[in-house]
Amino acid sequence: MSDLERWITLLGMTLIAFALRYGPLVMLERFQLPPNLQQALRYVPAATLAGLVFPALLAPGGQWAIGLDNERLLAGMIAALVAWRFRNILLTLVVGMGALWLLQWMGV
Amino acid sequence: MAMSPPSSPQAAFGRGVLVSLPIAVGIVPFGLVTGIAGIKAGLSAAEVTLMSWLVFAGAAQLVALQLIGAGASIFFVWLATLVVNLRYIMYSSALSRPLETLSGRMKWLAAFLMVDQNFALALGQYGVLGPRLTPWFYLGIGAVLWLNWVVATYLGALLGARLPEAWALDFAIPLCFLVLLVPAVQNRPSLAAALVGGLVSTALIGLPYRSGLFIGALVGIWAGVWLENRAGAQGGR
Repeated sequence: MSDLERWITLLGMTLIAFALRYGPLVMLERFQLPPNLQQALRYVPAATLAGLVFPALLAPGGQWAIGLDNERLLAGMIAALVAWRFRNILLTLVVGMGALWLLQWMGV
Repeated sequence: MAMSPPSSPQAAFGRGVLVSLPIAVGIVPFGLVTGIAGIKAGLSAAEVTLMSWLVFAGAAQLVALQLIGAGASIFFVWLATLVVNLRYIMYSSALSRPLETLSGRMKWLAAFLMVDQNFALALGQYGVLGPRLTPWFYLGIGAVLWLNWVVATYLGALLGARLPEAWALDFAIPLCFLVLLVPAVQNRPSLAAALVGGLVSTALIGLPYRSGLFIGALVGIWAGVWLENRAGAQGGR
């Protein structure tokens, strides 16, 4: 990307991020979102965040890799357990990265 | 919170600051990873810090930076920002009542500072703090987390240039998302949304510029809604 393209990208991201946060806040004083849409929005975090996590663990090289030779899948599952139990970013990062380094070092 | 509730807007703001400090510490590594990702994507330290200053949305920034690094077009970076930030429509809708006493100008600021944490905490405390104090509690949390985010990104960007490839630090990015994903899975329908969304996104990983993420999210949302409606039709969860 050129300098100009990077600035346009940043400007657009700023506007998108702001509009999604600002729009409903001021419009819903007068309107209500339709119940169907409210219901669908409740599942947005789980569906999108899983869409960010799963491919990085299940297909780190761009193709399905489900097996014990996939270090990232194993390390990710250990990290998921820690994230679920402790809800702590730092601890999850330390354990997840540590597990990945250990598995790579062992040459699993 | 065992402390007695604050009695003035200033005290509510201060309470927000206090409550957010341990959360801010936990977010520092996420900010560092974002700064590092910015350098890897070819941005300068100033550019990625400005991005954190203006966009203030970690997950969207990380996806956008990966796409920029992979040479995606502007449109796909924007689309990914939209998809990853869709949850803010839900947050913003739910906050319209708790934040309704703010002036028009302060609502701009409140929207700018909206993140997962002050959404959840302000909504949770609304019953105790009420319409007069909740907005200031919310703004106190947002102010700390924003400042923390900008500083952590900058530090990550300074660090980023010096970290070796062999450390596989790109793996820290899905780990950051994992910490956000776990609390988003609260019941069977949201588990279904996560499993279906995640698996479809993985199956479509070959599509250009992460458009599989968009399709996966839509199918996942549909799965969650479908399961909730089916459970409702059978007489509750």
